[in-house]
Amino acid sequence: MTGPLLEVKDLTKTFGGIRAVDGLSFAVAPGAITGIIGPNGAGKTTVFNLVTGVYRPDAGSIDFEGRSLLGIRPDQIVGAGIARTFQNIRLFNRRTCLENVLTPLLQKAPYSVPAALLRTPGVRRMDRELREKSRFLLAEMGLEKLADVQASALPYGLQRKLEIARALAMEPRLLLLDEPAAGMNPEESRALSALIEEIRERFNQTILLIEHHMDVVMRVCSHIVVMNFGALLAEGPPEKVRTDEKVLQAYLGKEYRNA
Amino acid sequence: MFLQTVVTGLSIGGIYALMAVGYSLVFSVLSFSNFAHGAVIMLGAYIGLGLVTKLHFGLGLVVSGAMAGAGLIAIVNEKLAYSLLRKRKAPSLYIMISAMGCAVFLENMVYATIGSRFYAFPAFFKQSVLCLFNGTCNIALLDLFAFGISILAILGLHLFLIHTRTGIAIRAGVSDMTMCSLMGVNLDRLISIVFFLAGIFGGAAGVFLGIKYLVYPTMGWVTNKAYIAAVIGGLGSLPGALLGGLILGVLETFVSTYVSSVMRDVFSFGLLIALLVWRPNGLFGRDTGEKV
Amino acid sequence: MNYVLSIVTLAGINMIAVLGLSIFTGFTGLFSFGHAALVGIGAYASAILTYYYFVPFPIALVAGMAASALVSLVIGIPTLRARLRSDYFAIAILGFGEALRVILENLEITNGARGLPGIEPFTTLPIVAGCLAVSVWVASNFLRSRYGAACIAVREDPVAAEMAGINLFRTRLLSLVVSAAFCGLSGGLLAHFLSFIQPVMFTLVQSTALLAAVIAGGMGSITGPLIASFIFIAMPEALRVAQMWRLVAYGLVLVLIMLFRPQGLMGYQELTTFFRRSRNDRPAA
Repeated sequence: MTGPLLEVKDLTKTFGGIRAVDGLSFAVAPGAITGIIGPNGAGKTTVFNLVTGVYRPDAGSIDFEGRSLLGIRPDQIVGAGIARTFQNIRLFNRRTCLENVLTPLLQKAPYSVPAALLRTPGVRRMDRELREKSRFLLAEMGLEKLADVQASALPYGLQRKLEIARALAMEPRLLLLDEPAAGMNPEESRALSALIEEIRERFNQTILLIEHHMDVVMRVCSHIVVMNFGALLAEGPPEKVRTDEKVLQAYLGKEYRNA
Repeated sequence: MFLQTVVTGLSIGGIYALMAVGYSLVFSVLSFSNFAHGAVIMLGAYIGLGLVTKLHFGLGLVVSGAMAGAGLIAIVNEKLAYSLLRKRKAPSLYIMISAMGCAVFLENMVYATIGSRFYAFPAFFKQSVLCLFNGTCNIALLDLFAFGISILAILGLHLFLIHTRTGIAIRAGVSDMTMCSLMGVNLDRLISIVFFLAGIFGGAAGVFLGIKYLVYPTMGWVTNKAYIAAVIGGLGSLPGALLGGLILGVLETFVSTYVSSVMRDVFSFGLLIALLVWRPNGLFGRDTGEKV
Repeated sequence: MNYVLSIVTLAGINMIAVLGLSIFTGFTGLFSFGHAALVGIGAYASAILTYYYFVPFPIALVAGMAASALVSLVIGIPTLRARLRSDYFAIAILGFGEALRVILENLEITNGARGLPGIEPFTTLPIVAGCLAVSVWVASNFLRSRYGAACIAVREDPVAAEMAGINLFRTRLLSLVVSAAFCGLSGGLLAHFLSFIQPVMFTLVQSTALLAAVIAGGMGSITGPLIASFIFIAMPEALRVAQMWRLVAYGLVLVLIMLFRPQGLMGYQELTTFFRRSRNDRPAA
């Protein structure tokens, strides 16, 4: 495929008169890591919620692999190949790490309800294979020793990793990460940057991420979309965005320029 | 026939409205469906019955006594069964289940102690029926009285909420509880007042129901109808409760007159489901979507 | 001895219905004040088949399950599709249950409010024990499968579940239908145990009692609600407590559990995990 993997055009969403997203257009190239940055309340997470079908846009289009995502349910969008993580972590808290990863994997198991009720040998075999696959995914994230621990018992940073593991279990062609480095110290966020790059290489994964940690964004992203008040402020490679006059003024603040 | 149906419907609707107000008041502040309200109404009826049979009070005193008693019961009910949950910020569903537990508890407590006997109020009016339009339409004096009291009480409550300090505090609590407590309003007191108000309305409704039908432990389930009325009008809305009560009363009477009396309840429950599905906020309700 | 056997049988029958509701409430996270009506549908459907049409008992039981499952679709499809607030859903299904009862009270084939007497007492303790064992096995299979995993995910976080590729509507509906089938089985067994059924046996009060067992036993547990259900049925019988005091206790239990232990007796745990834990080291949590 030569065109963009995800293409957003003139996207608009208003909440009670406030334009959370205002005529936004951008594209995500396959195989790349694209970043969305912008001040708090710029509408970044709303873009994720629009792409994943949590909200319906008021206007504009969202095309994934050339097909429109408008009007289809969130679970169908996952089926189409988009998975995400959440800004305020949303794990299946009372389930183990393994079960968190296993749940989306199981959803693709092609057995029927009667077979499930009787737990036929076929069902057993498929479940066993998927369990192995979940262990493998946990191991990729360095969580294999915690497979049987309840998700809610994990420290914050590991919960973020588990959420990424769960998203990868959906075998997405586009992975949306919503502030994966939130609440991390510089050292942890450096490790996370390395992990994100590794995911891209190992799984040949296209990634779109929202992030406040500039060091993470500048390090991993090859393309950056800057939002302000729901609209596109600037976009381009990190070097260009870093020196963009409008970005410095609106987002990084005047002090940044003086520093 | 048509006119008679409307009149009968309105008179039932007035009582529904009186009960629906209790649901709506509590819902408007705490966003949960207080299913114990039916039991409070039932206890109000028993209190009224006790006052008239043991102490031989007149109608006015019986109604006031039942109102005060039911109001106090409602406060105690909130303190014991809900306040802990409310302070823990438990999901509204938990409070609702606790309320359902209260309803089952109170109702069967009455069953076990007072018994399942049906009691009747003595007749309060010598002439029980008023003839209108040369006898084409009859209206029971009690119904007229109950209807008048219902409308007056709801109007009074409306004025109370708009013009008194407490009323204003309640309305503030409706829009934002946390903010309200930050502004120095005593939330516990406020909520007690809300339950007291719901209770006194329930007490009056209980006596009217008891006079109209009979007094027995499960009479509180009639309030399912009042709940439906509150949903029709939009939970949390006072004009909604009044209008919902009247609409349900009239519709129901029409169904039982022109279709069949057994279909009446099926119709009401069907209406409840349809409304919850198609218009969960009712005619006048606020948007009360659950936070995800 | 005969008396004890009949209590155990009754408890077993009740446990199957509680198991069904547990799938819906404990594992899928939706509360229902109407499941007793689904028990009633199973009871009436199977009883009518054996009473009027001399259908063999096992076939009548299956038909009762199917009837309950079908009837649950009638309420499930509109309400679950509309994604009602959880408390509104509980109320909608309450209204549905009450409406069903009124219909049962007014049909000719059900003999109305007087009830249906003289149903053949086919249900025996071994039959109930067998049905219960199979039910527990099937229910745990269901919960281990992709469908059960979807139910639990929906309970834990509907938004995240949807983002894990789970269809909320279909998952909740399936959970309702499966739970209704268990309730239908329980009803069929009940009708042919008591040999008399009446619409008032399947009211809101009974729904509340079922819910009380699930909540007291613990959300997200199979064994907890089963134990609670057994205690609820057997204890008052053993103590010879009158029905109304039993209901007083159900009401009180609901309030106390909500106030002090909303996770119930064994919330999100099974009896088996306790044994496993005492044998092995506790997992690092």
